[in-house]
Amino acid sequence: MSRTSGLEPRLSEGDAPPARPQSKSFDWAWIGVTPFLIYAIMFLFLPSASIFVRSFQGPDGGFTLQNFATLFSRTDIINAYKTSIGISVLTSVGGAVFGFLLAYAVVLGGLPRFLRPALLTFSGVASNFAGVPLAFAFIATMGNAGLVTRLIESWTGIDIHASGFTIYNMWGLSIVYMYFQFPLMVLIMAPALDGLRSEWREACENLGGTYSQFWRYIAFPILMPSILGTTILLFGNAFGAYATAYAFSGSFINLVTILIGAVIQGDVLYDPGLGNALALGMIFIMLLCMLGYAWSQRRAARWAK
Amino acid sequence: MQVERGELVSFLGPSGCGKTTTLRVVAGFEKPTTGQVRINEEDITNNPPNQRNVGMVFQAYALFPNMTVAENIGFGMKVAKKQANEMSARVDEMLDLIHMPGFGDRYPYQLSGGQQQRVALARALALSPEVLLLDEPLSALDAKIRVSLRQEIRSIQRELGITAIYVTHDQEEALSLSDRVVVMNLGKIEQVGTPFQIYNFPETEFVAQFVGVLNAVQAEVVDPGSNRLKLDGQQVQTAQDLSKWRAGEKVVVAIRPERFSFVSEQVKANLLECRIENITFLGSIVRVQVRINDYTMYMDTFNNPYLELPKIGDMVKITCSREAVLILK
Amino acid sequence: MKQSRIWSWIILIIGIFYFFLPLFSVFEFSMRMVKDKYTFQAYIVAFSDKAFYENFGFSMLWAILTIIVSLALIVPTAYWVHLRLRRIKPLIELITLMPFVVPAVVLSFGLIRLYGKPPLVLTSSPLLLIVGYVTLSMPYMYRAVDTGLRAIDVGTLTEAAQSLGAGWATILFRVIFPNLRVAILSGVFLTFAIVMGEFTFASLLVWPAFGPYMEEIGAMRAYTPQALSVVSFALTWISIGLLQRIGRGAPGQGQIAGTR
Repeated sequence: MSRTSGLEPRLSEGDAPPARPQSKSFDWAWIGVTPFLIYAIMFLFLPSASIFVRSFQGPDGGFTLQNFATLFSRTDIINAYKTSIGISVLTSVGGAVFGFLLAYAVVLGGLPRFLRPALLTFSGVASNFAGVPLAFAFIATMGNAGLVTRLIESWTGIDIHASGFTIYNMWGLSIVYMYFQFPLMVLIMAPALDGLRSEWREACENLGGTYSQFWRYIAFPILMPSILGTTILLFGNAFGAYATAYAFSGSFINLVTILIGAVIQGDVLYDPGLGNALALGMIFIMLLCMLGYAWSQRRAARWAK
Repeated sequence: MQVERGELVSFLGPSGCGKTTTLRVVAGFEKPTTGQVRINEEDITNNPPNQRNVGMVFQAYALFPNMTVAENIGFGMKVAKKQANEMSARVDEMLDLIHMPGFGDRYPYQLSGGQQQRVALARALALSPEVLLLDEPLSALDAKIRVSLRQEIRSIQRELGITAIYVTHDQEEALSLSDRVVVMNLGKIEQVGTPFQIYNFPETEFVAQFVGVLNAVQAEVVDPGSNRLKLDGQQVQTAQDLSKWRAGEKVVVAIRPERFSFVSEQVKANLLECRIENITFLGSIVRVQVRINDYTMYMDTFNNPYLELPKIGDMVKITCSREAVLILK
Repeated sequence: MKQSRIWSWIILIIGIFYFFLPLFSVFEFSMRMVKDKYTFQAYIVAFSDKAFYENFGFSMLWAILTIIVSLALIVPTAYWVHLRLRRIKPLIELITLMPFVVPAVVLSFGLIRLYGKPPLVLTSSPLLLIVGYVTLSMPYMYRAVDTGLRAIDVGTLTEAAQSLGAGWATILFRVIFPNLRVAILSGVFLTFAIVMGEFTFASLLVWPAFGPYMEEIGAMRAYTPQALSVVSFALTWISIGLLQRIGRGAPGQGQIAGTR
């Protein structure tokens, strides 16, 4: 049993199918996991690796850094990154703040008990209501013939769209993204707020502290890794969004995901090498996000004793 | 009830009896429907919990996980905006008090349960509160640590001369630690007294049953004048006053198991004939289970490797004094 | 504390408002097909389009295939890793988190590049689409199964079954899987919701599905797209509702999924 940890059940005795010596049973488990590993290699690692490799390839196939140079010099690409990052920062911070407040309101804010499961259910649904239907819903809300537009017109006589106001920009899209961003925050924060033990607050009061001192010195520091980590997650979530943006504004708003989509669909302006560089740039940013998130999770776990 | 300065009073009782709630009323986390809480004659019933000058030690330690030991202990002073050097001097003082010097920079997750509870104690004492409140502080700890830590708590309390209220459901803890014990049941006080008093002279059936092992059987009053009862057909004499009852009335009689002995050792006023049902070796004590017709009783005798004990099934005579026979309300 | 309660209500009302306004708007809009009247005409038109049923049917087919492949891949893996190969559990968990690092657009890009040319041309079959969907739902399926495994203490159950003389097949099918039913079902419902609403893979890999169909209708028509949105939302509601029903106690985190 030299290579197995102490947790494994003893397999060679007992009535497992024909009594096999320990090493054979050990192989069984690996066989069980192999299909998954093959799948991961074929459809996750290799595509990612090919993107990595090809982003350093010129049209002739030789090694080049030209793709990355183009990445940083073409204005439309730079703008795409700016817009994508801008929306991601806006909706991650905004979603984090509003989601936190909402979670607080329902868990610690003294609202009736039944509202909490209701809010969590809605958040679960809302965070899944992304993509095409969400885009259409917001167009029906704020667009040219949208409900809000019509209401404002009938109340004040002003046609807001006539004056050049449009929702098809970074700000409008951000409002759409928020719809699935802050429910995510709520779903993660609600259990985290539960984890704030009431004894901490009582101990703080017992030692003379006020409620705001409790939050300042104890609760926020404890929650900060979770809050930060989720904000980072929200950032990545927004950065990688494609369907919602495409259905909402097509290629009108310049985003990194839209650009990559254009390359895939054979848009002439972007050669494959550049497409790979774009994709790699995206993977890089998402990787940073995941690392940030993982780090924050570990910090949070340390204190949740 | 009243707790005297420097006293350690335990609230003892089963789960749900209200002892923790009472403690929390003193701390300010619960509001009483009627009545007052007064410390040094000052009425603090309506004070918020952060304006009471009582120190509380929680069952689950409740140390702030994001702060070091030193920061935890100094938190009360930080809130009170004390000077930094005053704070660190006091923190060092507290660390010495709990015998943990040099632990200031550790985090709670790096400490064992017993260490965390000591830090919690130091944190509560750092502000020199008027009263120390302890809510089952040892329940979450291993048995061995519990014994050593409770001694430490008691000696610190004595050293500082601080008034303390200690809530527990463990009677051994209550008996060994307290100046006085308040036995509670279903929200009411059953008895208040020193450990000695509540063990040897329980006033109600509940107290007698809850504290220590007790034999409680029904007996019939034979003659109140001469303090005689009939227990399952056999005559028993008690030292207690039976004038409240009349002949023929039924009462509950309680006898501590250690007050019985075999007749071979000594013959006392009462003699009971019974059958041995079981003998359990508990280490220093040997617990003998006997049967008197309808009733099962327990007798504790000291372990003596050279004394031959009767066998299961034997009929024996056991004896106890008049004073050992208690009448319960 | 009274003061904070007012703020709590304010936040809640803002939240409710924000949640419901788009839903109400899209529903209201979908009813306006016939001038000056509220009718369900848009829905009638939507449901009488043959393409609706074709695409919806395709999506359902992809969903079922995805669920089968996903279960076949993940359940045994999760079981073996949990029981016997604890050491590589972190690696497996990392793999299941990769779909976050490689979003749908990028993955399509890589898949098409790699498998769109000889020697290995997979783009002519919906295989890559299924791959995309399985990858998309992998984190959630794995998390659901892993949570279930942890909850039932697989190691002890397996040992108990073995000590009573059970062979591996019996253990897997009579002891473990029945107890994982709830966890597996929640993974299944989530995957279903994901696939039905998915757009990115289907659009970029050019396969008929409900997502691209909705988008097309949106580009060509008015009112019917909104009706379809309402239908899609109702579908999501039902899936998540069922998931909540059967997955009582499943952590809320496992419910964030889908195309973005």
